[in-house]
Amino acid sequence: MKAPAEGTLRGIATFLATFGIGVATYITIADSGGGSPVCVAGGHGCQAVAESTYSHLFGVNIAAFGIVGYVLLLLCALLRGDAFRMGGFLLALVGFGYSFYLTYLELFKIDAICQWCVASATLMTLLFVTNAIRMLAYVGTDP
Amino acid sequence: MSGRRDREARREERLREEAGVASGERRQRLIKLASAAAFLAVAVVAVLIVIASSGGGSGGDASNLKEVAEVEQLLEGIPQHGMVLGEPGAKATLLEFGDLQCPFCKAFAEEVLPPVIENRIASGEAKLSFNNFTIIGPQSVPAGAAALAAGKQGRGWNYVELFYRNQGEENSGYVTGEFLTAVAKGAGVPNIAKWNRDRKAKSTTEEVEATTAKAEELGFSGTPSFAVEGPGAEGVEKLGTPGSSGDLESAIENAAS
Repeated sequence: MKAPAEGTLRGIATFLATFGIGVATYITIADSGGGSPVCVAGGHGCQAVAESTYSHLFGVNIAAFGIVGYVLLLLCALLRGDAFRMGGFLLALVGFGYSFYLTYLELFKIDAICQWCVASATLMTLLFVTNAIRMLAYVGTDP
Repeated sequence: MSGRRDREARREERLREEAGVASGERRQRLIKLASAAAFLAVAVVAVLIVIASSGGGSGGDASNLKEVAEVEQLLEGIPQHGMVLGEPGAKATLLEFGDLQCPFCKAFAEEVLPPVIENRIASGEAKLSFNNFTIIGPQSVPAGAAALAAGKQGRGWNYVELFYRNQGEENSGYVTGEFLTAVAKGAGVPNIAKWNRDRKAKSTTEEVEATTAKAEELGFSGTPSFAVEGPGAEGVEKLGTPGSSGDLESAIENAAS
């Protein structure tokens, strides 16, 4: 199967990373005010997840790491060349792996689902797929 | 002339082939490099997971519950109905309004209440009712609901006592489904699936809110707060936070007489 044009993949990655910055920023701001994200569909899942011990790493809200990750992914999507193809793939792999772990925690440890975290995990999964296709199809093809 | 053109064409073709081979080799090399880096990235994720799962240290350790046997021994043989410990026909009722996250309630449960339970509740002179008064934070509500759900299976007091003995730092996030379930198992709740359904039921949360409202109506503002009912008491007699087991026992005696 032929891979989509690299420009298309970069466009998709740009859109996803921008969306991800928005989601991660909202979670970070909601947490920094001493509160928690508001679950759009109601319920206390977002609050339970935000207040759990798993929501911070090295004393910093995980969503703050998410902002950094999405910004770097956005840069990789906007820039051309092998370094950014590979960088985007590796960053998305780390993000996807950690998002997978966080979703496992929500389902089996915290016992609550935060819609914002699920949204971020979905974006990170799509970014991983997009960046993996870009890297495998186009790395080393520049003249 | 024709021979020269042929030589140039062959040379160009050779260069193109060489460039193609070089490009293919470079691409293969980069993909190998990416694979190795991906392996490292997976290792980074694994390290982060280990750090995240070993972090905390704020108490509420679900994997290492303490004093399971002590709680069992304290409550052994004493009947329980819902969140009421003791003989249903006991003359006096001691009401505790507590928050499972409250460190003072924990201290009370460990130091002040055991003699009262042994001397007054186990003897059938009084019964002891636990009422959620959730003032510490939002996590107190699911904790209280978990205790009520355990109460529906006759293990409410085991749950309260075991929770206190394994309490973590206030609002530190230790009140997770994992921790609540570990306490339920330690407290001997027989049907964990039913307990899970009950603790998540809206009616259980409403019950937690109702007893909190009741405590506020009584004029309590801190936890643990106590009140006593009985033939010798005028309605619900407020005790506040008694200073010792002896104070509580005296109040029970007066209410029962």
